[in-house]
Amino acid sequence: MTSKIWIVFLKELRETLREKRTLALLLLFTLMYPAIIGYVLNQGIERSTRTEREGIELAIIGGAQAPTLVSQLRQKSITVNEVAPMSDAAIGALLHARKTVAVLRLSSDFVENYAAMRPARIEMWFDSAAENNAQRRELEETLQAYGANIASARLLAHGVSPAALSPIQVQRYDTGTNASRSAMFIGGIIGVLFFPAFMLTMSAAVDSTAGERERRSLEVLMAQPVRTWELVCGKWLAASMPAVVGVTFELILAHLILRWLPLEEIGMSWSLGWGEMLLVCLATLPLSLLSGALYIALAMNAKSFKEAQTILSFVMIVPLVPGFVVGMLELKTATWMYLVPTLSNHTLLKELAKSSELGATPFVLTFFSSLIPALLVVAFASWRMKSERYVLAV
Amino acid sequence: MIEVHDVRKQFGAVQALGGVSFTARDGQITALLGPNGAGKTTLLRTLVGLLKRDHGSILVGGVDPEKDPMAVRRNIGFLTDQFGLYERLTTREYLNYFGQLNDMDRATLRRRIGEVSELLGMDDILERPTKGFSQGQRIKVALARTLLHRPRHLLLDEPSRGLDVMSTRALRTALHALREDGCCVIMATHVMQEVTALCEDVIVIAKGHTVAQGSPAELCRRTGIDSLEDAFVNLVGTEEGIA
Repeated sequence: MTSKIWIVFLKELRETLREKRTLALLLLFTLMYPAIIGYVLNQGIERSTRTEREGIELAIIGGAQAPTLVSQLRQKSITVNEVAPMSDAAIGALLHARKTVAVLRLSSDFVENYAAMRPARIEMWFDSAAENNAQRRELEETLQAYGANIASARLLAHGVSPAALSPIQVQRYDTGTNASRSAMFIGGIIGVLFFPAFMLTMSAAVDSTAGERERRSLEVLMAQPVRTWELVCGKWLAASMPAVVGVTFELILAHLILRWLPLEEIGMSWSLGWGEMLLVCLATLPLSLLSGALYIALAMNAKSFKEAQTILSFVMIVPLVPGFVVGMLELKTATWMYLVPTLSNHTLLKELAKSSELGATPFVLTFFSSLIPALLVVAFASWRMKSERYVLAV
Repeated sequence: MIEVHDVRKQFGAVQALGGVSFTARDGQITALLGPNGAGKTTLLRTLVGLLKRDHGSILVGGVDPEKDPMAVRRNIGFLTDQFGLYERLTTREYLNYFGQLNDMDRATLRRRIGEVSELLGMDDILERPTKGFSQGQRIKVALARTLLHRPRHLLLDEPSRGLDVMSTRALRTALHALREDGCCVIMATHVMQEVTALCEDVIVIAKGHTVAQGSPAELCRRTGIDSLEDAFVNLVGTEEGIA
């Protein structure tokens, strides 16, 4: 005799798989979050490595008047392109093409002013909307250094120490490095990988409880030689299945993407191996089971599909809360975090990304912190379904 | 055989069943008559063990549904007054599901689905998803489900509602076949012609009490009224029973 749980499970799963909406949602969530994370990180990497990879493209008008400047720029590995004089609009168009970081235009009286030791004008045209602040700053610094050099030489020629020009010296130290910012960012963003656990269980859970009640098929089912806990378990496992499959595939996909991205460029790491990743997937399975259990227990009390959906869409926000609070308060990772579902999964993945030396405890805690509540909720749901008050309302 | 003795059930302040007693014998079709709200649904739910009685005794084939609900349910075919099918499953899949829940193996199931399908004349809808079925087709599917596992006891709540002439005939054939097999059939209905034509025994309940039990002829004799419908109204106690 096949187990009754298995019979109910197969039937519910078959019904779920026949609904195209559920499948579309499954596909969407499996692909969407890893793709978003990959895209955002890739953008970050590209932005921070652009300077060294591409160098700085600079166009100069009338550069022949200042050969020293041009050669100094070239020494800083700036590609200097001599261009013919052009109109303001043409310069705008050139900058808009985003190839050139800036256009320097030396006025025609540059040499004359320079020789007369009057400020010789260099126009710097740039597009502040273009994402090349770092490159522009480098360019400006080079120009300043060039100016300072000439000033020093002139002062020396007059017997004055150039140091007189610098009463103070500012040295900049930026501790908010690109790396630390990105590490915080990735730490936060991988949390979204666990949300589908709470989205993919919803439709099947609602359909197999509130939906069945609304269609008036539940009474017949409850009058069959099946114990209520067997019914609830079958429905629970079937409702959790899309999330189990979806989240596992999603994590594997995210793992592939994160391994492939050159994260070390922005001072981040993804030091998980396949073995650890599979352990994470395993430790995350009960999260889907918990969400399935919660939704079944809530939706079975709703009289209609619509009512159940309204209730559940409120509940769906709850798993976001722990991660959000911890992120807001900037709490350091502590053992208790492994006891809070979703937060535990998030923390586990975050810590593994940094270093692999975690030990078994976080895995075990993560696994059971979801599994035990899931079983309790299922027990509650079974007890509730058996009660006369529930039978009467069916 | 279903034996019910002085069964009472109270929901809060409402006395749903105030003392129901009757015996439904094997090889007979017993009609369960009563106005809406008389307690028929509560009674049927108590018989399958979904509800617990406060008082009295119930034996379904010698088994108390409160002590061993699984054994009782395996031997009961239950057609509720309102029921839904699973729209994304075909008729055959629907029947397979309930057959498996009743511990039927694959081979038996296939054979029995063939048999009930022939009995009820529903070969044409066997492989179709049940979405969009007419009321008659839906009732047929549900009836097939109640007959599938060859239960010794059948609890049918208004099985003939919404059926066209052909389907009503199919239902009648099915009921006759069940009687031949020696099954114990309890059928709640509001159609007096059906009672006269089909049922050997009639139980009349009103306001949660058994008012009378006997053959249609006996009920007429006892009340001194020729028509069963009038006899029924008389037994129920006119105004207050129907209200």
